[in-house]
Amino acid sequence: MSVRNVSGKRPSKRNLKLPLQRPLDKASTCISGLDEILEGGLPRGCTTVFNGGPGSGKTLMGMEFLYRGALAGEPGIFVGFEEPLDHLRRNAATLGWDVAALERDKRLALIEGAIQADALISGEFSLKGLLAGIAGKSREMGAKRMVIDALEVLLRLFDSSRQVRNEMHLLNDWLHAAGLTAILTTRPPASESIPSYEDFFDSMSDCVLRLDARAENQLCRRRLRVVKYRGSGFGSNEYPYVIAGTGVRIEPVSTVGLRHKPLGEKMSTGVARLDAILNGGYRRAACILLAGLPGAGKTTLAACFTAAACGRGEKVLYVSYEESEAAVIGNLQSAGVLLEPHVKAGCLRFHTAMPEAMGPEEHLIRLLTLLEEFAPHHLVLDAISACPRMGGKQTAFDFLVRLLNRCKERGVTALLVNQLSGETGRTEISGGEISSIIDTVIFLSYVEGAGEANRVVEVLKSRGSAHSNQKQEFVISDEGIRILEPYVGEGQVLTGAARRQQEARDAAEAERLILEVQAKELELEQLKALQQQVEARKNHQAFMRGALPNGGREEKRLGRDGE
Amino acid sequence: MNLKSNPKRPRGGAADPFFRLRLFVAGDEPHSLKARETLFRLCREHLKDRCEINVVDVLQDYRAALDCHVMAVPTLIIETPPPERVIVGSLSDEDKVLAVLGIARGKVRP
Repeated sequence: MSVRNVSGKRPSKRNLKLPLQRPLDKASTCISGLDEILEGGLPRGCTTVFNGGPGSGKTLMGMEFLYRGALAGEPGIFVGFEEPLDHLRRNAATLGWDVAALERDKRLALIEGAIQADALISGEFSLKGLLAGIAGKSREMGAKRMVIDALEVLLRLFDSSRQVRNEMHLLNDWLHAAGLTAILTTRPPASESIPSYEDFFDSMSDCVLRLDARAENQLCRRRLRVVKYRGSGFGSNEYPYVIAGTGVRIEPVSTVGLRHKPLGEKMSTGVARLDAILNGGYRRAACILLAGLPGAGKTTLAACFTAAACGRGEKVLYVSYEESEAAVIGNLQSAGVLLEPHVKAGCLRFHTAMPEAMGPEEHLIRLLTLLEEFAPHHLVLDAISACPRMGGKQTAFDFLVRLLNRCKERGVTALLVNQLSGETGRTEISGGEISSIIDTVIFLSYVEGAGEANRVVEVLKSRGSAHSNQKQEFVISDEGIRILEPYVGEGQVLTGAARRQQEARDAAEAERLILEVQAKELELEQLKALQQQVEARKNHQAFMRGALPNGGREEKRLGRDGE
Repeated sequence: MNLKSNPKRPRGGAADPFFRLRLFVAGDEPHSLKARETLFRLCREHLKDRCEINVVDVLQDYRAALDCHVMAVPTLIIETPPPERVIVGSLSDEDKVLAVLGIARGKVRP
C-alpha cells in the first residue's frame, strides 16, 4: 500500500493529470487526493502555509509530505517547535511510516526546535540560529522539502510584530533562495488577545491551505480548503479528509470531470422471473436501488444477487450498517440463501459498522480502501437509509455521492438497499437526492386485502433497458425468492388469497363454461339426430311417391347419376 | 573559537562556583557583537577567573546549534553550575543576566 502511494502513480491519477496544463512547476504532496485538489501538487520551491487548529492533522500532513517525498527521492527536513520528536516518530509508526529508517539513510531529518520553557529573554535577537541550522542540514542532505511546524511558538518570543515580520521575511527569502518546497504550519489564534500572524503568513506565502476539525452532530469532521494558490487553479471547495490506515486521505468528488464507466452487459439478478421482468437482469456497473418497507424482502433480494454473483466467481463487498455479518448470514440462511460458502471461498467480504461509530469521511475512506484492496465486482450497501445516522441528511448525501462516484469510476455494480418508512412518495422510493445516479429502481411493497399483506415487486426505472412495469407478486420461501406469474383480475394485479379466490372463481367459471359447451354439444347432437330422422322420413315419403305414379323415372335418373 | 578568561582552573569553594558558559552568535551581526561584548565585560568585572566562555558561531558550526536546539541568536547557555539555564538575546538587560548568574551588583569588587 505504502509503496504504491509513495510514487503517487495510481493509473487513474496519472490519467487525470496528463491533460492539465501546468505552467507552474509543482511538487507532488504524495497525499492521497490532495494533488487532485491542488491540480498537481504544491508550488515547487515556494512556501505553503497549512493553517489549522489543534487536532486538524496539519503536523501529520506535513510529515506525510516529507515521508512520502523522501521515499520518492526528495530528501526533507522537519523542524518542530511544539511536539516532541519522539511523539512524532511514534505517531508516524502507527501509520506504518518508518521514519527512523529514512533518518538513518539521511533522507529525512527531524530537528527539535523547541526552546527551553524557562529560557529568559534579555535584549534583541534573531532567528539566524534556525536559519544556519536548517541551511547547513539541507546542504548536507541535499534537501528538497522542508516543514516548519508550529513556528508561532518560536515567534512568541518576539515582543514586537515588526520583528516577527522581519524574521519571517528573512526565513521566506532564504527558503526561496534555497529552492526548497516548504510548508509552514500555523494555528489560528486561540483568542483575540494573542497576536496572530495569520494574515501576514497568508500574504507572504504562495499557497494557503486551511484545515479544520469540527464537531458536527457529535461527530468529528475534518475539512480542507485551499484559500489561495498563486499562479495556479485549484479545487475551491471544502474537502473532507481523514487520518486513517496509512495516512491522510482526501476524497474530492471528481474535480476535473466525470470519469464514469458506461453500463455493462446484463447479468442475472439471482431471481429468474426478475431477470425476465428486467429483460435480462441488472446491468453491470449500474447503480441499483432496492427500495421497500421493512420486511418487504429487500435484503433477501440483494442476497439472491450476491449469491448468484459469487456463484459466477465474481467478488462482492457486502456493507451492512444494520446487522452484523453473522446475523445477515443467519437470517438469509433461513430464507434459503447460503452466503457462508462464498465468504469461505473468498468471493464475498462483509464490512459491518454502526453508522454512528465514526464520521462519514472515515466510513467513506474505509469503503474506498476496501474497493481498492478487495477490488470487488459488486457492492451491496444495506442500507442507505441508515447513512443519515452518520451525521445528518447532507452528510449522507455527500457520503453516497462520493461512494457511488468511485463505484462508477471503477465499474463496480452498486446495489443499494433503501428502507422506507411508511407513507412515501415516489421521490423517496427512487432515492431522493441521489436519484440521478441511480440506474434501476426496484420497489418492493405489500398489497393488502382479504386479511393479509402480500409482497409485490415492481420495476420503477431501468435505464438503458426495456422492462415490464407490471406489479408482480413474490414469495420468500426457504428456497429464496420466487416471483409468481402475474395474475390480473378485475382490472388489477391480484395477490395472495384474493389471487387464489379469483383463481378459484375463474376455474369454476371455466368449468361451468365447459359443461355448458358440453351440454350445447349434446343438444347439437340430438338436433342432428333429429334432423337425420326428418331427412330419412322425407326420403321415405319421396320413395313411396315415386313407387306409385313416377317411380320408374326416378329409378332411371338415379342410374344415370351413378354412371 | 574558544576564549578562556583563565586557562588555569582555580580552586573555588561552594560559595564561589565555576561557570562554564556557551554563547551562540551569528558572525558579526549587531546583536551577536553586543552580547559577546556584554558577556565578556560582565565576566571580567564579576567572575574574574571563575569562568570559561565558549563562543560558538552558528554560521561556522551549525551542528552545535542544532545539537543544543539553538534557534535564536544570540543565546547564552550556562552549563555549570547546574541547573542549565538559557538566556536569549543581546544580554542588554545586565541586571537580569547577573541575577541568573547569581551575582549581585553589590558584590562588585573595586
